[in-house]
Amino acid sequence: MLVEMALAAIRTSALTKDYRAGRGLFDLDLQVSSQEAFGYLGPNGSGKTTTIRLLMGMIRPTRGSAYVFGLDCIRDSAQVKRRVGYLPGDVPQFGSLHGGEIVAYLGGMRGGVDQRHVRAIAERFDLDLNRPFREYSSGNKQKLAILLAFMHQPDLLILDEPTSGLDPLNQQEFYNLLRERQKAGATIFLSSHVLSEVEHVCDRVGILRSGRLVHVHAVDMAETEPSLEEVFLSFFAEPRPKALPP
Amino acid sequence: MSSLLFGLRLSRWGILGFSLAALISTFIQAVGFYQIAGHTPAEHAAFGASMITLSSQFVALFPTPLRPDTVEGYVQFRGFNPLAIIFAVWALASATGFARGDEERGIVESELATGTTRPALVAARAGAFAIGVLVASAAAGAGFVFGVESGGESVPARGPIEACALLAAVGLSAYAISLLVAQLASARAATALAGALLLALFLVNSLSRVMSSLSTWRWLSPFRYYELSQPLPPGGYFDVRGLLVLLAIAIVATAAAAAAFMLRDLGAPLVRVPSPRHRPGFGASSVPFWNVPVARGLYERKLGLLAWSIAMAVLAWVFVALTRTIVQVLLSIPTFVPYLSVFVHQKLYPAVLGYTWFDVAQLMFAALAITYVARWSSEDTDGRLEMLLSTPQSRAAIVLERMAVLIAASLLVAAVSGVVLFNASHAAGIDLDARRLVEACLLLVPFVLVFAGAGSLLAAWNPRAAVGLLGAFAFASYLDNELAPIYKLPAWVQSLSAFKLVGTPLLNGVDGRSLALMLLLALAGLGSSILVMQRRDVGA
Repeated sequence: MLVEMALAAIRTSALTKDYRAGRGLFDLDLQVSSQEAFGYLGPNGSGKTTTIRLLMGMIRPTRGSAYVFGLDCIRDSAQVKRRVGYLPGDVPQFGSLHGGEIVAYLGGMRGGVDQRHVRAIAERFDLDLNRPFREYSSGNKQKLAILLAFMHQPDLLILDEPTSGLDPLNQQEFYNLLRERQKAGATIFLSSHVLSEVEHVCDRVGILRSGRLVHVHAVDMAETEPSLEEVFLSFFAEPRPKALPP
Repeated sequence: MSSLLFGLRLSRWGILGFSLAALISTFIQAVGFYQIAGHTPAEHAAFGASMITLSSQFVALFPTPLRPDTVEGYVQFRGFNPLAIIFAVWALASATGFARGDEERGIVESELATGTTRPALVAARAGAFAIGVLVASAAAGAGFVFGVESGGESVPARGPIEACALLAAVGLSAYAISLLVAQLASARAATALAGALLLALFLVNSLSRVMSSLSTWRWLSPFRYYELSQPLPPGGYFDVRGLLVLLAIAIVATAAAAAAFMLRDLGAPLVRVPSPRHRPGFGASSVPFWNVPVARGLYERKLGLLAWSIAMAVLAWVFVALTRTIVQVLLSIPTFVPYLSVFVHQKLYPAVLGYTWFDVAQLMFAALAITYVARWSSEDTDGRLEMLLSTPQSRAAIVLERMAVLIAASLLVAAVSGVVLFNASHAAGIDLDARRLVEACLLLVPFVLVFAGAGSLLAAWNPRAAVGLLGAFAFASYLDNELAPIYKLPAWVQSLSAFKLVGTPLLNGVDGRSLALMLLLALAGLGSSILVMQRRDVGA
């Protein structure tokens, strides 16, 4: 058990955040191994962001526990974040600060950021860091968020819908960056709405429905097994109105 | 119509807050009059004379009161006249909030997408503010009437109605001017520019009472037209033309703002300042401050800090310049000489400067603390706190660094204003005790920390409500200091006010017990805010 905990990049046990009225996350038992890319799928309000915020120690669980590299996500929060790169679902607003200032600010708080690595990522995404944040398009804001998550070459990347707002070319660049990081030994925990994206990037995919993990799907399965899309639709395909009312 | 209702909904808390403040303010002033002015005509006359003495210290802010020996004259002076300034500040925040704040948040774009025309949207928001300021003005009138009734008297309705109309009109004209400036300037500069213009218009009018060279420009200021009337006191007057000019300013400036809004791109100013040629860059900022705790917070707020330092330095210089004028005016009135002679052993000029400057400095430093707390709250709601917490920093470390940044900022502003005050007073021949001045300036830091401690706790507990609640706390603290002696409240009630705890350090030195109490309050706020911050959910 102790060996398992040490090996697991992420481990949760009966992790619950109850917002009442059936909203939140309930009894999540999950284990993500080191160097694994784990996708997290589910419709809006299914509990993806809640899981991510619990792992990041932003919110406290109602019950249960969560560990990252064997460290308690609440008690050892600062140590956990030393090894984690985080991309939130909503890009924060930095007002009139320039992109380069934001990177320096958060890099200074974090410490140990290699400036050559920062420059390399910014050039790959053609992200001009001399512009004020308020002048960035939504795509450029997302690129900056990616840079902030990757800049310290973390052991674990926790990414909440990382490609939203990115054009297809930059999406491809992001996937390449993700693969490089995984090859370098990082673990990836990625939430998304896009089936093809998680199928393309991840080794395993967890499917959430109404705050509960209902299925974990291994992506590299034999062709005779149902595809991720078939599995996903089996949980969510419900009859919907065919047309809007007049 | 739906735009008007939406505008009212967006500004509902402002309307409620300012209406309550107006109601309480005039009510307390009216009730206070009966407590302190005595009961006989002779006592009233003596009280009126002392109010005129008091008003001469603030002649640069408010006009000399008319018949302050009556409840009407007293409330006109201490209730309605300050409310005119407060309503102008409200108008500034409301107009720039609509013109640029709502635009940045995408609310204006969404409303325009419904088919609402730009002039209609401007008219709807101006209409919503007009309704709000009318409600708040009526609340001020109601507070006055209730206060007078509590003293067993009654007043004819005409005076309060005219005073309320004037308050609403000055608020509307300030709103329209701010709205127009906000169309011309960038989102970042709109509030500062509109605020600077309103301040300049206010000072042109008020300083012209002591600086005759400014009187030729007085006609430009809406506050001038407000002051043409004093409708409440017996023998008062109401200048209909002044009211009409205020309304004309409101209508013309609103129409000009609507026209400017039609001419500019959404999100862009009408007047574009040419910027230097942009050079793309792919590296992080190489400024070393970003790597140093506290220094990075100061560097991030460098422009704001510079503005605060300059503003306080200018204010210190203005107060020194006014002190000599005020004292000379007072000494030229034979009846005041015996009154002033009690100060002679303390040196008259430093005494007046000590009272007036440190009163204003305390208000300004309380405002400085509130702006920092507003920043902490917005970091929480706009996702920046979540990003800061994604670095290996504990929540306690972030709270402590915030507080350390505020300590450093207030030390800097206090030092700059103190140096200017000392040099300007020396140049004006006013002999300030250097040691006491240093102590008095340093005392402003624990004073700021009292508000910062409370603000830190409020921001950790409920960031959306923090600024409003801290503003109310500061207002209550100020009222406690002002009114507790009048109502003869117990000493411990007076000691609850941070303004009371500061005392008059330039005249009487620093009281060690009050200093210890301020530090204790600040530590209690800081400690409890760390505990609350560690327990709460962020970004949920």
